[in-house]
Amino acid sequence: MRTGAAAGRTGYLHEALCYGSDEELLAVVVPFLVGGVEANEPTFVALGERTSNLVRAALPADTKVEFLSGGDVYGRPTAAIRMYRQLLADLVADGATQIRIIGEVPPAGLGPTWDWWARYESAINHAYDDWPLWSMCAYDTRTSASGVLADVAATHPCFATVDGRHVPSVDYVAPETFLRQTRPMPPDPMQTVPPLVDLLGPTAAQARAAVHQVGQGGLRDDEFDDFVVAVSETVTNGLRHGRPPVRFRLWAGADRIVATVSDAGPGPLNPYAGLLPSANGAPGGLGLWITHQSCNHVTYHRDDQGFTLRLTAGRPPGV
Amino acid sequence: MLTDQPPPYWHLCWAYDDPAGFMTHAVEFLRGGLAAGERVWFVVSGPAEPIRDQLLGVRDFANALLTGAAQVRSLDGAYTSMAVIDPASQVAAYRRAAREAVADGYTGLRVAADATELVRTAAQRDAFARYEQRVNEMMRTEAFRAMCAYDRSQLGESAVAELACLHPEHNLGQLLFRLYAVPLRRGQAALAGELDPSNHDLFRTALDRADLQPVDDTLVLDANGLRFLDHRALIHLNEYARDRQVTIVLRAARSGVARLAALLDLPDLRVEVAR
Repeated sequence: MRTGAAAGRTGYLHEALCYGSDEELLAVVVPFLVGGVEANEPTFVALGERTSNLVRAALPADTKVEFLSGGDVYGRPTAAIRMYRQLLADLVADGATQIRIIGEVPPAGLGPTWDWWARYESAINHAYDDWPLWSMCAYDTRTSASGVLADVAATHPCFATVDGRHVPSVDYVAPETFLRQTRPMPPDPMQTVPPLVDLLGPTAAQARAAVHQVGQGGLRDDEFDDFVVAVSETVTNGLRHGRPPVRFRLWAGADRIVATVSDAGPGPLNPYAGLLPSANGAPGGLGLWITHQSCNHVTYHRDDQGFTLRLTAGRPPGV
Repeated sequence: MLTDQPPPYWHLCWAYDDPAGFMTHAVEFLRGGLAAGERVWFVVSGPAEPIRDQLLGVRDFANALLTGAAQVRSLDGAYTSMAVIDPASQVAAYRRAAREAVADGYTGLRVAADATELVRTAAQRDAFARYEQRVNEMMRTEAFRAMCAYDRSQLGESAVAELACLHPEHNLGQLLFRLYAVPLRRGQAALAGELDPSNHDLFRTALDRADLQPVDDTLVLDANGLRFLDHRALIHLNEYARDRQVTIVLRAARSGVARLAALLDLPDLRVEVAR
């Protein structure tokens, strides 16, 4: 049986909690968590270290809340979706009738990589709707940019307000619409200089060889290997499903490697491409999904020239 | 250029476009055998005599041809069938010849064979590819080395690739992977090179033709030389294992292979990372 603001609902209740002080955060989060525990619902905290400590200190002793390490959960959006879907499926299989989670995008995700977290926030309205989940996504209005807060309003159907109400977001946009919107892709500062590699119509093997030739610089072995996987999948996707010509470009700096793969087509038709594995074997669905879990930032960009996918391994600028 | 992994045995595929160039490489290959005390056979597609006469004038070969250390044979003097090869009987024939060479005091038998005439049709290539893998396995225990040469200008690149991928070494620069038997302590076969959509069909065919035999319901593939494989190849390996009710182990793989496999639901595939 659903409880609290989700009583009587099926599927996912996805709320944003925009707070302006620690007191406002706790005023909403503590009753939310205590209510879940009192209803015997699996109840989780996936906040960053500072806010987790605040909540931990404010909760009554022995409140049976599980703290997930926010940094690990929210490393990459697609990995977070994969982890949560498995968690939710397991909990429901064990008999849970509602699950409560308070989470937050880490501060690093609120900067230049926010766009893929905005896509995450939109996509999970669909991705978690198979389960009786009530979650709140916490955003500190003191540190979140106005563009971030506008996306929060567009991707959360409800707000949990600091005075205890639950109100619909008038700016909410269905994920199928939000995810099809053309979002700005500001160039990585590294892209202002000519690329080290610029190949027209490469095979996946040629693109991989070019990455190896440029070398991994300061990247860890695992980051570099995963980037090669992402490049191979992305070029393969462009060749298979895009419209020629496919163009592969690569820039490398001390702390990151950036690649773009573009073609003259419109890009993936599935709005969830990259965030969810294709459920029906739709073309390219798995390759982009793997790509999103193999890089530290992936962006989509559409313009009158076609579709461009940008991959960043290592430390994205501003992170 | 030859592929960069050192071969566990010497079983080399040599695609050639120029018969004279092939002759040069074959002679060098066989000269190495003579130096190692092996009996050597040069198996040629036409009559043996003209080539034998030619070799009589080549350094190191004149005396060896007279003693029988070096022999030039026509294809039908070395292969049991000129139509569609029977892998088992051909392997048995070479095993017998290798053992005879050892019994005669040589350290083994080394063969350079132009097999172009034996692989002109799809059916011939299918059988010959299966034979190549059986030869790989035979070399685990027999003092036998071979260079299989194919005229690319007559057969085409893709036909040669069907055969080359089942050799530990080949000179096809565009062919990205190899699948070949290795010492059993390393597994039933090695999977080396790179697997991506450009060679998935060839890989599927090669895996079927290799007809790998599991031990205790497990097929171990040595992935030490596997530089790259994509999710489609992993999924195919899992399906291959499931269809045969075995578990496939990718042993000594790069850690990225394990991370990729962990993203996919592959219950019949296990990845063991190189230490």
